[in-house]
Amino acid sequence: MTRLALPNRWWLWAIVAMIGSWAWTVPFVPIGVAAGSACATAIAVVLIAGYVVRRRGTEPTLASYMAADEEPEQRAPDELDSLLSRSEEIVPIPPVDQILKSMESENHRRRLEDLLRRWVDVAHRYSEAALVLRKEIHTVVQHTEQAADTISSSFQAVINKATLQAREAMELLEGTQGGLSEGAPQSLTDFIRVSDERLTKMADEVVRVADLSVQMVKELDGVQNRAQAIDGFLLDVEKLADQTSLLALNADIEAARVGEYGRGFSVVAQEVRRLSQRSHEFSDRIRQHLKEVKVGLHKTYGDMRNLSAADMEHALKIKDDVILLTRSLEDKNREVAETVGRINTISREIAQDVHNVVVSLQFHDITSQKLRGMLEPMDDLRRTLFHLMQETMAAGKNLLPQKEPAVPAKAAEASDAQTGSGDAALKKLRAVGAPTNGPSVELF
Amino acid sequence: MATIMTVDDTASMRQMISFTLNSVGYDVIQAGDGSEALKLARDRKVDLVICDLNMPNMDGITLVKSLRALDTYKFTPILMLTTESQADKRDQGKTAGATGWIVKPFNPEQLVNVVKKVLG
Repeated sequence: MTRLALPNRWWLWAIVAMIGSWAWTVPFVPIGVAAGSACATAIAVVLIAGYVVRRRGTEPTLASYMAADEEPEQRAPDELDSLLSRSEEIVPIPPVDQILKSMESENHRRRLEDLLRRWVDVAHRYSEAALVLRKEIHTVVQHTEQAADTISSSFQAVINKATLQAREAMELLEGTQGGLSEGAPQSLTDFIRVSDERLTKMADEVVRVADLSVQMVKELDGVQNRAQAIDGFLLDVEKLADQTSLLALNADIEAARVGEYGRGFSVVAQEVRRLSQRSHEFSDRIRQHLKEVKVGLHKTYGDMRNLSAADMEHALKIKDDVILLTRSLEDKNREVAETVGRINTISREIAQDVHNVVVSLQFHDITSQKLRGMLEPMDDLRRTLFHLMQETMAAGKNLLPQKEPAVPAKAAEASDAQTGSGDAALKKLRAVGAPTNGPSVELF
Repeated sequence: MATIMTVDDTASMRQMISFTLNSVGYDVIQAGDGSEALKLARDRKVDLVICDLNMPNMDGITLVKSLRALDTYKFTPILMLTTESQADKRDQGKTAGATGWIVKPFNPEQLVNVVKKVLG
């Protein structure tokens, strides 16, 4: 479907063609023929020019937009203008395919504008998100640093106390197994040994004392027999005194019979009788004392018998008790030794745990460094996005007039749909970020 | 007993190192960055320096170079303790004059062994 189209200023084309062909033919042909030929040439030139211009008008289409790396939006309005002006000026009803083509290019331009707006919008949102992320990373680093500091100092305090505790326990327990110094027992083992020795010695002493008591009882028996014998001797003495007294009486009688001559002898006989009485008195007194001695000896004998029996029994019981006590102390000591062993094992395990904790607690330093490493590329991305936005805005002032891009409703919807995930991520980030600035305890 | 200086911008790392080395009887002093460490090192002689690589104000490599420039620290062992494990970083450290390179996280036993070894 082809239609004739006239070029801009078609009349100029016609006049130039006409004058040219007329001026050239005048010297050779009659003037009338020249004029006719000039008119025909003018018509032909105008028609050819019209065709050429129409062909050229269809050229700047999709391809030019796709290839255009310099101001496509600038070129598009120009073309639109030329299309519009031509149709206004020349053809009241423009050809359908031209209208279609111009609409197509217009649509294309709009699509590109939309895309550009969406890109700028995405850039804007993500540069904001990068800022929020940066803050969050910084907060995380700070929080982990504080937490790690607290953990490590508390841990250190715990370890120091545990070490002290273990050392004191070990000293205490090692004391029970240690050596003897200057006679005083230093350890439980020594204490057991020394007390066993001494208690045994004491028990032996008690047994020896009991033996001695038995012997003393025997000897007391002997003493009592002797006392009995003394009693017999005293009877003899009394008999002797009685006989002496009888003898003195006889002598006194004999002296009285001889009268005056026997007076002196009578005095002697009376003295002898008095002596015999006195020896009687002595004998009585001795018997009296001896009786008391016998009573005392008897009592002592009974006491000694009781004592020796009780002593023996007691000493044997003490000896048994000492043996039992020593055994129980030895058992205790063995338990203590086992506990020391267990404590040593636990100490070794604690040392291993400490190593593990020390290794694990360094996570903070490593994660912080990694997080800080993320900041730089993020800042770089933010800077790049910012510059791209600035440049884009500068390039299309009419396209993106405000900083907060005033996206047309349709485009905004589209961009929301496109950048939905990014937006959600941003909201999520803000939601996560919020509690860090809030109170540590919150009741609703 | 030898005095060891630990240089790290992370307080918990310094604590870990101090704790580990204190437990085997070394005296440990701490510095938060390279410049602080340099100041401390000038004030008193330390027998071994254990330093991080990435720190504010003055980084580990610069610290090593600065210490090596001092007469008293020409032959003092300096161990780098860092998360970096790349060969080029190690080479940088070696060129600057570091004695050794330990990658974080350190194992306390291993650290003590290395310290004993470099202190001779």
